[in-house]
Amino acid sequence: MPLLRDIKGFFPPFWVTFRNMFRKPVTVQYPEQMPELPERYRARLVLTRDPDGEERCVACHLCSGACPVDCISMQAAEAEDGRRYASWFRINFARCIFCGLCTEACPTLAIQVTSDFEISKRDPLKLVYEKDDLLVDHCGHNDEYSFYRQAGIGVAAPRGTNPSESAPVDVKDLLP
Amino acid sequence: MVDQFVMLALILIKLVLVFAVVLSMAAYLVLAERKILARMQLRYGPNRAGPGGMIQPMADLIKLLTKEDFIPATADRGLFLIAPGLSALTALLTFAVIPFGPTLEIFDQKLPLVICDLNIGLLYFLALSSLAGYGLALGGWASNSKYSLLGSIRGLSQLISYELAMGLSVVPVVMMAKSFSLTAIVMAQETIPFALLNPPAFLIFLISIFAESKRIPFDLPEAENELVGGFHTEYSGMRFGLFFVGEYINLVILSSMLTVLFLGGWHGPWLPGIVWFMVKVLAICFFFIWVRGSLPRLRYDQLMNFGWKVLMPLALLNVLVTGAILLGMG
Amino acid sequence: MPTLTIDNQQVTVPDGTTVLEAAEQLGIVIPHFCYHKALGAVGACRMCAVTVVEGTFKGLKMSCLVKAEEGMVVTTDDQQSVEFRARVSEWLMLNHPHDCPVCDEGGECQLQEMTIASGHGLRRYTGKKRTYNNQQLGPFIAQEMNRCIQCYRCVRTYKDYCGGKDFGVMGSRNRVFFGRFKDGTLESDFSGNIVDACPTGVFTDKTYRFKSRYWDLQEAPSICPHCSLGCSTVPGGRYGELQRVRSSVNEKVNGFFICDRGRFGSSYVNHPERPRQATRGSWKLTVDEALQQLDVKARELINQHGPESVLLLGSNRASLETNWLLQRWAEEIGCRAPLLSAHLPRHQAAQVAAFDLADRLCSLEKVRQSDLVVAIGADPLAEAPMLGVALRQAVRSGGKVKVFDPRPVELPCDFEKQTVSPTELLDLLDGTSVESKQLVDLLRGAERPVLVAGGLMLGAGGMLRLKKIAAAASNDQRNCLVHPLLGGANSFGAALLSLPEQDDLLTRLESERIKMLVCVETDPLLEAPDNERFAKALSLLEELVVLDYLPTPLSVHANLFIPTTAPVESEGTFINNEGRQQLFAPVIKPRLPISVTGEGNHPPREFIDVAPGSDPIPSWQLFQQLLGEATDLPTLREKMKTAVPRLIDFETLQPGGVSCRVAHVDERCIYTDEIPAAPEESLQLVVTPARYGSDLLSRYSAKLQPRFTEACVQLHPQDAAARGLQDGAKVVLDTVEGPFNLTLKCNDKMAIGCALVENGPKFQQLVPGGKLSFCKVHAGMSHG
Ligand code: SF4
Ligand code: SF4
Ligand code: SF4
Ligand code: FES
Repeated sequence: MPLLRDIKGFFPPFWVTFRNMFRKPVTVQYPEQMPELPERYRARLVLTRDPDGEERCVACHLCSGACPVDCISMQAAEAEDGRRYASWFRINFARCIFCGLCTEACPTLAIQVTSDFEISKRDPLKLVYEKDDLLVDHCGHNDEYSFYRQAGIGVAAPRGTNPSESAPVDVKDLLP
Repeated sequence: MVDQFVMLALILIKLVLVFAVVLSMAAYLVLAERKILARMQLRYGPNRAGPGGMIQPMADLIKLLTKEDFIPATADRGLFLIAPGLSALTALLTFAVIPFGPTLEIFDQKLPLVICDLNIGLLYFLALSSLAGYGLALGGWASNSKYSLLGSIRGLSQLISYELAMGLSVVPVVMMAKSFSLTAIVMAQETIPFALLNPPAFLIFLISIFAESKRIPFDLPEAENELVGGFHTEYSGMRFGLFFVGEYINLVILSSMLTVLFLGGWHGPWLPGIVWFMVKVLAICFFFIWVRGSLPRLRYDQLMNFGWKVLMPLALLNVLVTGAILLGMG
Repeated sequence: MPTLTIDNQQVTVPDGTTVLEAAEQLGIVIPHFCYHKALGAVGACRMCAVTVVEGTFKGLKMSCLVKAEEGMVVTTDDQQSVEFRARVSEWLMLNHPHDCPVCDEGGECQLQEMTIASGHGLRRYTGKKRTYNNQQLGPFIAQEMNRCIQCYRCVRTYKDYCGGKDFGVMGSRNRVFFGRFKDGTLESDFSGNIVDACPTGVFTDKTYRFKSRYWDLQEAPSICPHCSLGCSTVPGGRYGELQRVRSSVNEKVNGFFICDRGRFGSSYVNHPERPRQATRGSWKLTVDEALQQLDVKARELINQHGPESVLLLGSNRASLETNWLLQRWAEEIGCRAPLLSAHLPRHQAAQVAAFDLADRLCSLEKVRQSDLVVAIGADPLAEAPMLGVALRQAVRSGGKVKVFDPRPVELPCDFEKQTVSPTELLDLLDGTSVESKQLVDLLRGAERPVLVAGGLMLGAGGMLRLKKIAAAASNDQRNCLVHPLLGGANSFGAALLSLPEQDDLLTRLESERIKMLVCVETDPLLEAPDNERFAKALSLLEELVVLDYLPTPLSVHANLFIPTTAPVESEGTFINNEGRQQLFAPVIKPRLPISVTGEGNHPPREFIDVAPGSDPIPSWQLFQQLLGEATDLPTLREKMKTAVPRLIDFETLQPGGVSCRVAHVDERCIYTDEIPAAPEESLQLVVTPARYGSDLLSRYSAKLQPRFTEACVQLHPQDAAARGLQDGAKVVLDTVEGPFNLTLKCNDKMAIGCALVENGPKFQQLVPGGKLSFCKVHAGMSHG
């Protein structure tokens, strides 16, 4: 009997809503009351340093490629010792949706999320962060990984001296 | 001469008072609705502007007034501009015939607590509520947007369908009160409200005014999640505000009509008549909000089916039965 | 035509097709590294394994080596092949340095793609990685040997295909190394191709180092504007800067590769002094105002002084559209038909190619397939570098190359050279001399003979003579084809639009009737012969208008300057030396690069709607505006096609797509060549384009600077000795255009009785191409 069912189903919602009116709301009254953030909360991004204190970011463009809203832009440059780094690095937080895809794409663990979500500004330009604003003085989540000590191109250590490498070959050697 | 001046002054004061009360009621209804709905959903609702959010309506007004009044490039400018006013105005005008208390005696003057006691007040109400369709139809048409147009087409057909049932449902009331004057109808309920005498008519009227007010569960003309904003999609600033206010004034009016036609108007024990009237109207408004918090929106075909295949025949039948009973009782 | 089945799909392919190529026709990509369409297969990488189920040899086979057979059945996705390819990937990755984030190849790396495609994901091997030391290979190429997978593509490109000599493979077992014997600049003029050929990041473009990622680059098919061959390229830019050029495939023209001039010569677009603002003197104008002034002034002068008073000058750098619209604007304002080149002799030579030779022209593809190429008055590496590579392919497939030229011509292949002076060249072509008859006989003996005609050296007269030789060498079975070399990217196009011309720019200017000169993307100071006389003539003008995208010396003299866009910033059409009508697409929008507006740091922190420096608009659009037409390329092209029926219907063409040769006509040019009598003790003056920087675009390219050579005058040691001069002496070159102080270089590979100077960034005064002329070389300093 759909009609009967419909009529029966008509009343309970009224009871539910009525009862709710006398319960305590669950809303967190934010500025007065701080929310408790989960440990892996994704908010403002930072650029971390490797254990040697060098900038981790190598300006590989993977984060900007992964970013669904295209809010990361940068320019790579080469340092004296062959190190690739970002000569400028810009994140437009007015556009960022804090999805964290950039941190997943980053091969050097340079870009990481923090739980600082209080970054609203009246002037959108103030939400455009440059490299100086992003760079922090610590390693973030991981204090061991250093890209240049894994990648065998002789930047952090001379060629062929990283733990996984043998010394450069002598191409003129004819020994079998 | 003096009498006439006093009379004029009293009428003016009454007008201003009614105007102010209706408008501020509409404004605070919005706040009340937001707060009550919020509590039903375990939220607080607006609580930032003023203590407990009490001056939120003012804040909203300022916001709406200062926002850009945007007119789409392809809109029909003239119609686009007047449509919101039309919808607020027709709603306000209806209040002219609603009696909200027994006749008062001040300075030897009889002061009826109704702005104008038309002897065809009920027809006036029905006529104006049909006119209200224009605001919606023109607004939707003039916006030149598919969402607006769909919204207004839905709204029009919904209003037409449910007006029939509504009109038919008040026929028994007229038969029982033997008058079209709303004051006379109220007087006829001095002992027992028509809601008890003729519950089917009451229910049909109740359902119809839900449809008339375009509120949940019949809010298809606006249906945010299908039509963006329905007929007022393209409106912004105070023009949107006018549509909005019109809607809430309409809510007050419809509640008043329900009170007048079925709930015995200002009649009630112990308390003064005007207070009884207010209490009844506010209770109905609360009911409107409660329904909004509890029921989902109907589908369009369900709405039409219900209007034409259930409500209309029922109302007709009710007219016949009531007529028969009245005849039988002589 | 065997029919075979690959992964249950049937395909019929020509004889000799490999399974890998057959699969490609079906849209099945079999992972591969060492196979390359231009280089062929060597079976070095073992990546292309498939299983032959039915065929002469069954089992796991390298698809790049197995030829398709009738009834063959092949699977590429069976477990055995898939497994095998995954293991190959894994072993190729054993020594990989895992540095993709800092590798410029990342994103367009075949190794990345094929590793993913073959399903190898996790490194299991825990042993140590082999490493190499890198070499410094000069300004163009960066090396990172640790990334090498030993596919041998680089050597096959550099040595085998392009004929470079200073690069190779050395070492034994797993120590093979690809590079030079010792550090030093790669000498080949085609060195950049190893960047495209290497499937990994071992060789990358040093000038593009760390500039962009492939996915951020704006790229579009384009035509190389540096010489008349019209090779297909794909320039790439980002942030308003043109950052690199890579080769594109056009089997009719360049094949798969391009030369270094085309690859590294593109940074003129980003020249720091590039004018991007319309100006009158020091007043800044909007482009609209400038056009208005141009229009008003031109009409006013014509009203006052008659149609002779305004001279319009088009160029071979400007697109076909621009040159055509320039002619229409001339009609509109009622002045004489524009000159479409500042250099009349070059233009006349191009006209001979465009009209008289049109039915004999042949593509570079035909040159590659030829069995006898005779180059007359042509120095391919200087005038049309990719012709050198084409000649090498002719030689590699058994053909012969013979060169007649006064210059010390070098080619990346074996060839026979006959050193002759310019006058002897003309004798060679006169059809009556003994040498001439021998030449015809030689050509008659070949099956697919091609004559390469150096338009600069031969001039119109020489080209017409060459036509007779070609006719004499043709018979009923086959034609003797001609491949002419012209002055610039659109020389053919400019020639095709114009009527035979006898008055050159200078004579007209000096007639003093001309009050206003409008130069469209040309600088006669650098491109016309006798630029000193030209500079003097400029002072007679009332108004000089320059439309250009280079900071040329002329733009300094301009009364009214209007900026235009470089070819990579606009759409357009060039017609190459053999009449091939080719379209190019816009790559980037004209604007000041972010590296400039941000002064090397981050871009400025401001909101603006219009990028700074984005005023320039394509010159054809400027002329459409002047003509009061809506800027609409398709309609313009339709009208142009109607007006010039020889052109190919533009709708059938698209940038980077097929290209066709324009129709030939029966119109003929009548040009003559006189051989002037040589004054006493004089030498024949030979002006040749320098290999780098002879065309204006590469002259303004910072990237090419390391390749620019010092100015000098070259003499045969005999001539030097006769004048008592020594190698390295300071000498004076006395020409009709004035004396020049230069250093002497002796060269025994050049013709006796000639003096050779290179026109390039270091010596711009003499321009190649022109009438025969004589000069003297003597010691000491002149005081002219
Ligand atoms: S968090 Fe998401 S939106 Fe924000 S920068 Fe990273 S990828 Fe972009
Ligand atoms: S992905 Fe990481 S290393 Fe690469 S550019 Fe972004 S932050 Fe830098
Ligand atoms: S350098 Fe590149 S092209 Fe040459 S063998 Fe190594 S991977 Fe192949
Ligand atoms: S592509 Fe076949 S073995 Fe390399």
